Amino acid sequence: MHIIVCIKQIIDPEIPADQFKLDPNSMRQLRGGLSLVISAYDQNALEVALQLREKVGGKVTALCLGESGAMGAIKSALGMGVDDGFLVSDQPLLESDPFGVAHVLAKAIQKIGVPDLVLTGCVSGDTGDKVMGPLLAEALGLPCVTFVSKVEVKDGKALVRRIVEDGYELVEAAFPLAVSIISDDSNVPRYSKLRDIMAAAKKQVPTWKAADLGLEGARVGVGAARLQVQDVSIPQRESKCEILDGETPEERAEGLALRLRELKVI
Amino acid sequence: MNFELTDAQRLIRDTVREFADKELAPLAAELDRLKRYPEKPLQRLAELGVLGMTVPPEYGGAGADTVSSCLALMEISRACASTGVAVSLHNTLTCEIIYRHGTEAQRRRYLPALCRGQILGAFSLTEPTSGSDAASLRTTATRRGEQYLLNGTKLFVTNGSRAGVIILFASTDLSRGDKGITAFLVEPSVPGFRIGKREEKMGLRASDTAELVLEDCQVPVENRIGEEGEGFKVALSSLVTGRAGIAAQAVGIAQACLEASVRYARERRQFGQPIAEFQAIQWKLANMATEIEAARLLTLRAAAQKDRGLPCTMEASMAKLFASEAANRAAADAVQIHGGYGYLQDFPVERYMRDARVLTIYEGTSEIHRLIIARQLLSPSPPPSPHPWGEGKGEGPQGGPEEGMGAWCVRGGGEP
Ligand SMILES: Cc1cc2nc3c(=O)[nH]c(=O)nc-3n(C[C@H](O)[C@H](O)[C@H](O)COP(=O)(O)OP(=O)(O)OC[C@H]3O[C@@H](n4cnc5c(N)ncnc54)[C@H](O)[C@@H]3O)c2cc1C
Ligand SMILES: Cc1cc2nc3c(=O)[nH]c(=O)nc-3n(C[C@H](O)[C@H](O)[C@H](O)COP(=O)(O)OP(=O)(O)OC[C@H]3O[C@@H](n4cnc5c(N)ncnc54)[C@H](O)[C@@H]3O)c2cc1C
Repeated sequence: MHIIVCIKQIIDPEIPADQFKLDPNSMRQLRGGLSLVISAYDQNALEVALQLREKVGGKVTALCLGESGAMGAIKSALGMGVDDGFLVSDQPLLESDPFGVAHVLAKAIQKIGVPDLVLTGCVSGDTGDKVMGPLLAEALGLPCVTFVSKVEVKDGKALVRRIVEDGYELVEAAFPLAVSIISDDSNVPRYSKLRDIMAAAKKQVPTWKAADLGLEGARVGVGAARLQVQDVSIPQRESKCEILDGETPEERAEGLALRLRELKVI
Repeated sequence: MNFELTDAQRLIRDTVREFADKELAPLAAELDRLKRYPEKPLQRLAELGVLGMTVPPEYGGAGADTVSSCLALMEISRACASTGVAVSLHNTLTCEIIYRHGTEAQRRRYLPALCRGQILGAFSLTEPTSGSDAASLRTTATRRGEQYLLNGTKLFVTNGSRAGVIILFASTDLSRGDKGITAFLVEPSVPGFRIGKREEKMGLRASDTAELVLEDCQVPVENRIGEEGEGFKVALSSLVTGRAGIAAQAVGIAQACLEASVRYARERRQFGQPIAEFQAIQWKLANMATEIEAARLLTLRAAAQKDRGLPCTMEASMAKLFASEAANRAAADAVQIHGGYGYLQDFPVERYMRDARVLTIYEGTSEIHRLIIARQLLSPSPPPSPHPWGEGKGEGPQGGPEEGMGAWCVRGGGEP
């Protein structure tokens, strides 16, 4: 079983909100030395892939389109235990719209060799488009199941758990297949082991540019973008603190319950 | 000059930080309050490969460098300084010494188990009458056939009552002073070994600090490290990693102080505004942050120097001295910024201040480190400039500890 996991490097969503800055032209978040992480659901996707490899054997490959610093994301994935990684890094490609990004990733996947399973996160932690899995499946001509928490293999077919409101569906699909991953208790990303980190640091990771993938300007980059973000607004959040009085703990608890009901929290 | 971490160093730091934030920090106050040894966290750290992390893979370690080891200790101590000291003694003294000085058989017997966390390590030099002046230790080791009989009392042994192996220093010839000291690997199951008092401490209350009593304690000859009389050299060789480890612990505690203070200063309002808007508070925060950065750089540089095989006795002393004192200042200021709440156990800075206090005492008191640094400066053959970018003073050998500087300690430095 060969699994390719597409991972995106984003600014750590845990940073304090006052450090969040937008580039007024591109309407993208400015990196400015902020700490970078693998987008959360992509980490769940890595975990799904590693668990599957532990069960059925095979190989897990991490693929990332990003700035040269995105090598850090590949190295993190290698530290978690994936077998190899590929980075596509070329400035013009980074300005592609999601359709263009899917095209780049599809080309890279074809160059690596279309695997049995392509995994993406179900939504990225920054732009949040929720489209990469399906677009990539389309570009590769693969069936696609979205919002999946677990993938198993039964009788040579994939049995995937698709999370829906208030429950799940079990979907059977033939390989090769593209799946977008959502988190649940079964795919909490593992910690890297120090030994794997040391090995990851030594591993060579090929870096490709547009020309290496035979990409043309008509399909990718800012010129080919058919979507453009026009405006972004940052919600103003206000927090306020109320202290409830009461003689006894029971009184205070009752006061709290009433207040929460008033606020329609409960 | 390049201050960038390598991929491996950064990933190790991030991994340990994530673990420390998620699994260690939430337990720290409770472990401290109950004086409960961090058994489970240590087990988890073993699973991640943090225990024995600098040991090469063929003996079960991760083969990480000293810089990574310091980064890990900073993150662990930022969450729980008690766990920090337990790991520091295990990694930077016990594992280091067994790997550097142990026979092949000793390495095979202990290192894999230490790396898996099956056993913990301890390092026992201090005695009731010998602290800074470690060379004056009185515990004796007398050879009887294929055994040594050890007699004496060891004090202040971190991990002492928990350890599966203790590197213990005793004299095989009292008349020869430091040249009579020999290092042994002592397993607590041997006859004549007894765990004495467990110390009640001001801080690091979740760590284990025990007295060890040796009454004709039988240690097989094959558990001697090196030759008779080489013990002091063995202790000295672990100076750099041990001190850098404690410096890293100090940086971690200080960082926790700063983070708690920034958070509190933003939230706490007096006189109609957050106290962070008072310049008196801002200056405290600025001083704290600056000293922490300086301490971090000194620590990582001593470690990097060690990783490059360069002499760094003085750098390690400077790092330990400065970081431990900076951590105490940071902790005192953190409590001050918290006002009356800083004095209560409800806020973590109360614990940070208690934990920080010992930093200027163990692994060489501040006084002893000033002495070591001054001796190097004043020695007839001064060490090469500590600044790689400074005036080169030649490649001469560093007036190293071998020439009169004791373990945490000065030989004959104090007593008349
Ligand atoms: C929590 C804790 C954990 C410890 N863990 C370990 C451990 O795992 N293994 C171990 O072997 N030891 C351990 N120690 C012992 C520690 O290393 C000693 O406490 C330390 O070396 C100081 O020795 P002392 O306490 O005997 O103080 P002393 O040496 O008696 O010093 C008392 C004071 O005199 C000063 N002084 C001494 N000599 C001089 C001098 N020449 N010039 C100027 N001033 C001087 C000192 O700086 C200090 O201020 C631990 C101690 C503590 C508190
Ligand atoms: C053990 C103990 C016993 C006590 N006993 C009593 C008692 O019997 N009766 C009683 O009434 N109170 C008592 N207190 C409360 C004590 O007086 C207050 O803690 C003290 O006044 C400080 O107030 P605070 O803790 O709210 O800190 P804050 O006023 O919130 O101060 C926090 C920090 O901000 C600084 N700060 C505040 N304003 C400014 C400013 N304008 N410019 C610069 N810096 C500023 C402070 O100096 C401090 O460093 C006690 C406290 C303790 C810990």
